[in-house]
Amino acid sequence: LSLSLCPYISTYKYSMSGVAKISPGAIVCRGALLKGDITVGQGTVIHPSAQILAEDGPIIIGENNLIEEQTIIINRMPPKNDDNSSDIITSNPGTMEIGTSNVFQVGCHVESLSIGDFNSVGCKAFVGRDVTLGFRCNIGAHCSIKSAEVLPDNTVVFGKNQRHVIAPVDKMSEIKQHDDQLIHLRRTLPSFHPIQATLKKIAETM
Amino acid sequence: MEQPVVKYAKSDYIETQSGNKVSKQSVLCGSQNIVLQGKTVIQPHCILRGDLANVRIGRNCIIGTRSVIRPPGKVLHKKEPPFTFLPISIGDNVTIEEDSVVNAAQIGSFVHIGKNCVIGRCAIIKDCSKIADNTVIPPETVVPPFTHWEGSPGQMVGELPECTKDIHIELARNFYSHFVPV
Repeated sequence: LSLSLCPYISTYKYSMSGVAKISPGAIVCRGALLKGDITVGQGTVIHPSAQILAEDGPIIIGENNLIEEQTIIINRMPPKNDDNSSDIITSNPGTMEIGTSNVFQVGCHVESLSIGDFNSVGCKAFVGRDVTLGFRCNIGAHCSIKSAEVLPDNTVVFGKNQRHVIAPVDKMSEIKQHDDQLIHLRRTLPSFHPIQATLKKIAETM
Repeated sequence: MEQPVVKYAKSDYIETQSGNKVSKQSVLCGSQNIVLQGKTVIQPHCILRGDLANVRIGRNCIIGTRSVIRPPGKVLHKKEPPFTFLPISIGDNVTIEEDSVVNAAQIGSFVHIGKNCVIGRCAIIKDCSKIADNTVIPPETVVPPFTHWEGSPGQMVGELPECTKDIHIELARNFYSHFVPV
């Protein structure tokens, strides 16, 4: 509880291009690559060899997210296509915002600028820049969503043909499972990996 | 079928006493919890998550480039703490090709997993089975022995002959003997 009351945010200079702001209580393994202007919320767990790259704008990651290895979260402008300029979907440079309690599973690639709460992106899935994930959406393994669309709450995308289904979910048990996993990881990961921001560091800045 | 000779720079791999060849570019988290029985080749950029739970890999296995082996997480009721990662065990003569994510609880012997596959959480893959490239095996699936699986979500598309075991032993041995330092 004392963690969540601490209002200070530690700054960790990671690369030349920017500073990652890691809130107290977040676990970011040293093996993860954070580049650019990134804010990591309380209680978020980032596994080693995940990549978060704020190339064309800042990335704000909320609380209690789980970002697994080989994940790429990138805020990047799409390459300009001069041949058919009318087809270009209007992509403004902007801030990428990720809500709370999302899960990004192994090897997924996320470019979406707006991600809500309690979403899950499966292994090796791709979420394009113009996709908006709402509340409790579930993108299955190997699915890729590239067109500009807003996924309604509780959408499940699965299978070869990217079928969209709206499915009711068992709310409480899923949230509890996610929380239990985060508690477990927050306890075990620091004993195996060097962690980027620690309470000690915050104490020094205070 | 004769396999081509694959040469590697000696400085890129660590060879253990039991003949395991582990690339220095691979990520072995919690290496005290990872057991390699011998003559297993782990290629560059693989991730083995021994920090979450024990990982046991049998003899003569090949783990392809950029693949991830990760113990599955599960909520066990009536237990404290409720969330735990279960150990993952992989049998002998198993080939896992590039870019696959293995989240299974158990993989038998003589199994072939293709490129870019996703093996779901707590799935069990029995002996002598084959998973085609780009397959997604849903969580908690049991893949029976001597079957061929394909698609997303994965489905059984055929059966395999009884000689699958011998083919795999031959392939794995051949690969190992043709994987030599420069």
